[in-house]
Amino acid sequence: MSFEMWAEKYRPKRLDEMVDQKDIVERLKSFVKARNVPHCIFAGPPGTGKTTAALCLARDLYGEGYREHLMELNASDERGIDVVRETVKTFARSRSIGEIPFKILILDEADNMTSDAQQALRRTMERYTETCRFILCANYSGKIIEPIQSRCAPFRFTFLPREEHDRYIKQIAEHENVQLLSDGVDAIFEVCGGDLRRAINTLQAAASVNRPVDAKLVYSITGRASPADVQKMLITAIKGDFLGARKQLRDMIQKYGVAGSDIIRQIHTEIFKATDIQEPWKIKLAGIVGEIDYRLVEGSDEEVQLSALLARLVEAGYEMKK
Amino acid sequence: MHAAWTVKHKPASVAEIVGNAEAIRTFSEWIKSWNKAVPKKRAAFLYGPPGVGKTVTVEALAKDLGMELVEKNASDYRTEEAVNHFAGLASQYGSLFGTRRIILLDELDGLTGNADKGGVKAITEIIKTTQCPIVLIANNAYDPRFTELRNYCVLIEFKKPATSEVVKHLKRISEREGIQVDENALKFIAQRSEGDVRSAVNDFQALAQGKERLTYEDVSWLGHRDRQDSIFNVLRMIVYGRTCMGAKQAVDMADVDIDMLFEWIYENVPEHLTDPHDLAQAMDALSMADVYRGRIRATQDWSFIRYVIDYMTAGVAMARQRSKSAGWTPFKFPSRIQILSRSKAERAIQFSIDAKIKRKCHISASRASKEFLPYLKIIFKNNSNMADGIAKWLDLDDEMIKYLKRS
Repeated sequence: MSFEMWAEKYRPKRLDEMVDQKDIVERLKSFVKARNVPHCIFAGPPGTGKTTAALCLARDLYGEGYREHLMELNASDERGIDVVRETVKTFARSRSIGEIPFKILILDEADNMTSDAQQALRRTMERYTETCRFILCANYSGKIIEPIQSRCAPFRFTFLPREEHDRYIKQIAEHENVQLLSDGVDAIFEVCGGDLRRAINTLQAAASVNRPVDAKLVYSITGRASPADVQKMLITAIKGDFLGARKQLRDMIQKYGVAGSDIIRQIHTEIFKATDIQEPWKIKLAGIVGEIDYRLVEGSDEEVQLSALLARLVEAGYEMKK
Repeated sequence: MHAAWTVKHKPASVAEIVGNAEAIRTFSEWIKSWNKAVPKKRAAFLYGPPGVGKTVTVEALAKDLGMELVEKNASDYRTEEAVNHFAGLASQYGSLFGTRRIILLDELDGLTGNADKGGVKAITEIIKTTQCPIVLIANNAYDPRFTELRNYCVLIEFKKPATSEVVKHLKRISEREGIQVDENALKFIAQRSEGDVRSAVNDFQALAQGKERLTYEDVSWLGHRDRQDSIFNVLRMIVYGRTCMGAKQAVDMADVDIDMLFEWIYENVPEHLTDPHDLAQAMDALSMADVYRGRIRATQDWSFIRYVIDYMTAGVAMARQRSKSAGWTPFKFPSRIQILSRSKAERAIQFSIDAKIKRKCHISASRASKEFLPYLKIIFKNNSNMADGIAKWLDLDDEMIKYLKRS
């Protein structure tokens, strides 16, 4: 086993090495061939290769010295308008030395930028098109303002299909001499849902335990509560045991580090699957879940928000019995 | 040292028990009827709010009648062994030494959930054939769990004694302790206890112990509650507050900051708001308070704090519509505070690790914290070889390594 983060070690270096997103890769290759790149938006869920594609494109375009022509900015860390004004401008306006007359700026998590910053960015993009091309990576292209969208070539990244995912994960396991059982692969896919970065991190953490990687190990490692646990919490609440349900929630968040957004997504799914909930109540509960989901974004404490939801479930369970 | 007055001055005879004369008479007649024959209902179910003298009645009566009292906590009846032991006790009226026996199962409310369903059932079975009187005690006899059980019991309700009755009890204690007390002071304490004799005695002891004389002035401050108030009183003002203003004022009296107070409330609300509607309403108020905390963070505008306070105090107080008093449920220290109070230094280390990951893995620091850190922690705990390699690769210093191994 090698001792670095595998997610980085196995990140494709060239467009040719990219496992999926075939159509996108083909188009990017044609940019390299033409030695010209438009402004781009790479939109899609996490772990589907957006940053990787941008980095591969740069390497194919400039060769090994690509770092001199490239800047990576993370909008989540530096999303203020000042960063756009200063850093981006300074980088964008200086002319590139070399056969390709423009540099590339990768703006990751661009959908986290404030709209003021996006407005500023739009002018910068326009003014320095000659010297700098922008690749904006985002989970949701809808959060990027219209004027920027219209200046960019859109690329839509999707989760890896199951076979590709499995093949890739198995290949890494083989390389690293990790014994990966087939239910382990299933579990990784179920837990990570095609997010390859997460899948690789999960595999590596599981491998660090030094025993064959099976489903049980994967669940205990990612700690992402397997769906059964959210289901259990849901039933505990519906049956009226608020404290018990809150305890389970607390474990999920604190012991296993499950993200609140993941828990609420699962609660939403489980509500419609649950047999303990009467049909007319399911849609009512969905509305309550939606409200809390929205508050989760605005609030500051996931456990508080989710336990407010649990209290509503307790209430609903009580009403249903009447 | 000082014994608790609730124990020290426990009524030694039923004659000393204040209030509930009717209930005590019914109970005592039922016990006495065992001398003639096994009565139709072989168990008595004493129920009522906390601190009104249910347990004390059983204990005093056993003493008065010279009977052996076997006291058990009902939640012990989860194991087969305990049930068999119980059945053995119940199979004969007299004990080895010829004295007659009462079996007391206290705190039946403590049986909860499915795990204890068997417990209630076992108890019911034993009652059907018991050869000696079994006494059950709970706050609420009409809990659905006891439906079947109730059929085999004489139900005896204990009510809150009148203020004058409580005063009578307090007066007796003051005489025994040799403390001079204003009648008004006792009345004040008794009123405040709302019929909970046990809490009245506790309050009385807290105020009067070591004093020769207790005046109205000595106790009336309880009504005003100054800054010295413990967090418990602050919580009581919020959780049991009847007006918005009253609940909001509690914030000024707390000597903990708003976030800490929030934690106290968040921890304790569920056990004090027992009605599901009230609880949902209160948790909703806390959720809104938290939303405003988020808005403060997003805008850095601290004036929004007033809405945080509104929701977490008045919002919670007004949620109480149907819940009954939780009685003797003590307020608990917020159990998740350890995690939240993680030191600043520790957070700084985490940030610096995130920054290292960011440099290497093309990801924002905030996402690194979510998508890499948890896995790193697992790796660092399980595999020191891999950990060493990654530490070198990420260029982590000793402090960061220690953090990852520890947390």
